[in-house]
Amino acid sequence: MLLGFPVKVLGQPGLKSHDNRRWQSRPHLSVSLAYLRDIFLYLKRQDIRMYRMAADLAPYVVHPDMPEFHSQIEECTAELAAVGELAIESNLRLSFHLPLTSVLNAQDETIAQQSSQSAVAHGRILEAMGLGPEAVLVTHVGGLYGDRKSALGRFVERFERLPEVVRRRLVLENDDKRFSVPDIQRVHERTGIPLVFDYLHFRNFNPQGLDGAQALDVCLRSWPPGVKPKIHFSSPRTAMRIVQHRASRNRSTSPQLRAPRPTQHADFADPFQFMDFFSKARQVVDQEFDVMLEVKGKDLAVLRLREDLTRFAPNLLGD
Amino acid sequence: MAEAGAKHGDRTARVLVAVMNSERDFAMARDGGWYRIPYESAPSRVGADYLAFYQTRVFEEDRWAVNYYAPVKRYRVLPRRSIIPFEPDHPRADALYYKIEIGPLRRLQHSIPSHRLRRITFIPTTLERLLRAKEINDLWCGSRHEEQLWRAFKNNGIGAERRYPLREEEEDYTIDFALFCKEGKVAICLEGHSPMENVHVVRERGSVDYYDLAAKGWTVLRFSARELARPGSFCLPEVIEAARREGGVLPVPFR
Repeated sequence: MLLGFPVKVLGQPGLKSHDNRRWQSRPHLSVSLAYLRDIFLYLKRQDIRMYRMAADLAPYVVHPDMPEFHSQIEECTAELAAVGELAIESNLRLSFHLPLTSVLNAQDETIAQQSSQSAVAHGRILEAMGLGPEAVLVTHVGGLYGDRKSALGRFVERFERLPEVVRRRLVLENDDKRFSVPDIQRVHERTGIPLVFDYLHFRNFNPQGLDGAQALDVCLRSWPPGVKPKIHFSSPRTAMRIVQHRASRNRSTSPQLRAPRPTQHADFADPFQFMDFFSKARQVVDQEFDVMLEVKGKDLAVLRLREDLTRFAPNLLGD
Repeated sequence: MAEAGAKHGDRTARVLVAVMNSERDFAMARDGGWYRIPYESAPSRVGADYLAFYQTRVFEEDRWAVNYYAPVKRYRVLPRRSIIPFEPDHPRADALYYKIEIGPLRRLQHSIPSHRLRRITFIPTTLERLLRAKEINDLWCGSRHEEQLWRAFKNNGIGAERRYPLREEEEDYTIDFALFCKEGKVAICLEGHSPMENVHVVRERGSVDYYDLAAKGWTVLRFSARELARPGSFCLPEVIEAARREGGVLPVPFR
C-alpha cells in the first residue's frame, strides 16, 4: 500500500509545486516541470512513492482569453518526457485532480466545453510524461442542478464525448454532499469509469447507509484488471478553529472560536481510525490499493502515518 | 539596470544562485539570455523564478560576488550540441543540459560578496533575501534555529561561514557554521533540527563525520534544536569560548 499526498510539500521549505506567477510574468509549464523535478528528488529521498501534481502545472493552458499559453504542452515535449522518466525510475505513482472549476456535467455548454478542454490538457500531460495507466485524472460528477438523474445522465453523455486520451485515465470520486458511492456506481455501470472511494466524503454523505467496507469494495472492483486502484483518506478536523469575525457596524475584526465541521480535513490522519477502517475492510476486500492522504499536513502527515502504522499495524502497510 | 526593490508579490519568489565562471558564459547570459546546467548533475533544486549569478575570480571588479540576477522565462532540456552548436566535437556534446532562458540581467544595488575563499556551487534562496543580503552567508534559508544562531553571530561580530563545504574521500558534506580562528578552526553542527517542529523529517544533507573533522584539526561543537531554543541558551557563550581557545576568530579577509 503506497501512501501519497497532494501538491504542496511542507517538509522542505521552498519546494514549489508549480509556476504560480501571474500571466503578466509569463509563467510557463517548463518552469513548473523544473519545480516538479525538484519535488520528485525530495520524494525519492523520503521514499514517498505517490504524489498528486498541481492542477495548475501548465498555467492558463486552456484559458479562453489567453491563446499565447495554449501551446505549452507541445513546447515542453522533451521536458515532460524527462520528468516523466524520473518518475518512472523512482516508481512514483502520479495523478491529477481536475480543478474544482471543471464541471463536466454543467448545464452551461461553455463551462462543460471548458472543463472538457481542461481534462484533455491534463490527460495530454500524463501521456507526454509517458506514464502508465495508474496515473489517473480524478474528478467529481459535478453539479446536481435539482435533478440527480439528469445530472448523472449529463455526466455520462459528456464522458462519452471525451477523447480517448482522457477517457482511459479519468476516474470518478464520491463527494460529500451531492453524489454518493451508489450514484457514481451508476455512472460506472454505464461508462466503465473506475471509482475512487473517498473515506471522509463517504462518512459525510452516505444517504443509503452503506457499510464502509462494502462501499470500498464496490469502488475497488470498478478498476480494470492490472491497474491498482487508489482511494482517498482523511480524518475529520476535531480541533477548534479561530476565525476573524467582522463586526457589522464597523470594520474592526475580532477572533472567534468556532467548532470544526465534519467535512473539514484534519492536519494529520488519525492512525487508529485508519487502522480500524482498513483492518475491517480487509475482511471484505481482497484487492491491493494505494491511499492518497488528503490531510493538511501533506508529506509530513504521510511520514507520520507511516511511522504510526509501522508501530501499530505493520501488516497494513505491506511491502 | 539597478534594482530598487522587490514588488510585493515577488518577495517569496524563488531564486537559484548559480556560478558564473567565464566571460563567455556571462556574455551568453547577458546577450543571449540563457544559462546552462548539466542535467544529470543538476542540484537538487533547479526550479526558480529568478537566476542570480555568483561571479568567480575571472571577473576582476565583479569577482567573488553576486552582482546580477534575471527572471526565468523557461527551461529546456537539450543536448549540449543544440545549445552550443559551434562545439560539435565537445566530449559532452550529446549530454543533456538544462538550458534556462532568462530575461534581461538586472544589477543588484549592492554586490553580495563572499568574504572568504570557499567553494560556492548553487544556492537556493528567495528574492527577498537576495535583495537584502549583505554577504553570501545571508543567502541561505535555514531552519528557525539556524537563522537564530546566524543572527546571534552577526550581532556579536562573529564572522562565521554558513554551509561550509568539505570533501572527504570523494564524499561531499557541509558543516552548518565554520569559524576560522588564529590557531584553529571551529565546526558548529546543528543536530536534529527540521523545518517543521514536532515532526521527524529525514535530513537531506550527508551527515558529518565528527571524527574526520576532529582529525583534520577542527574543534567540533554540536547543538540540538532544544539547546538552541532554550532561553538564555549557553550555545553562543560556548562558541565564543571555543573560538577564544583557538586564538580568536580571524577578521573577515578583505579581498
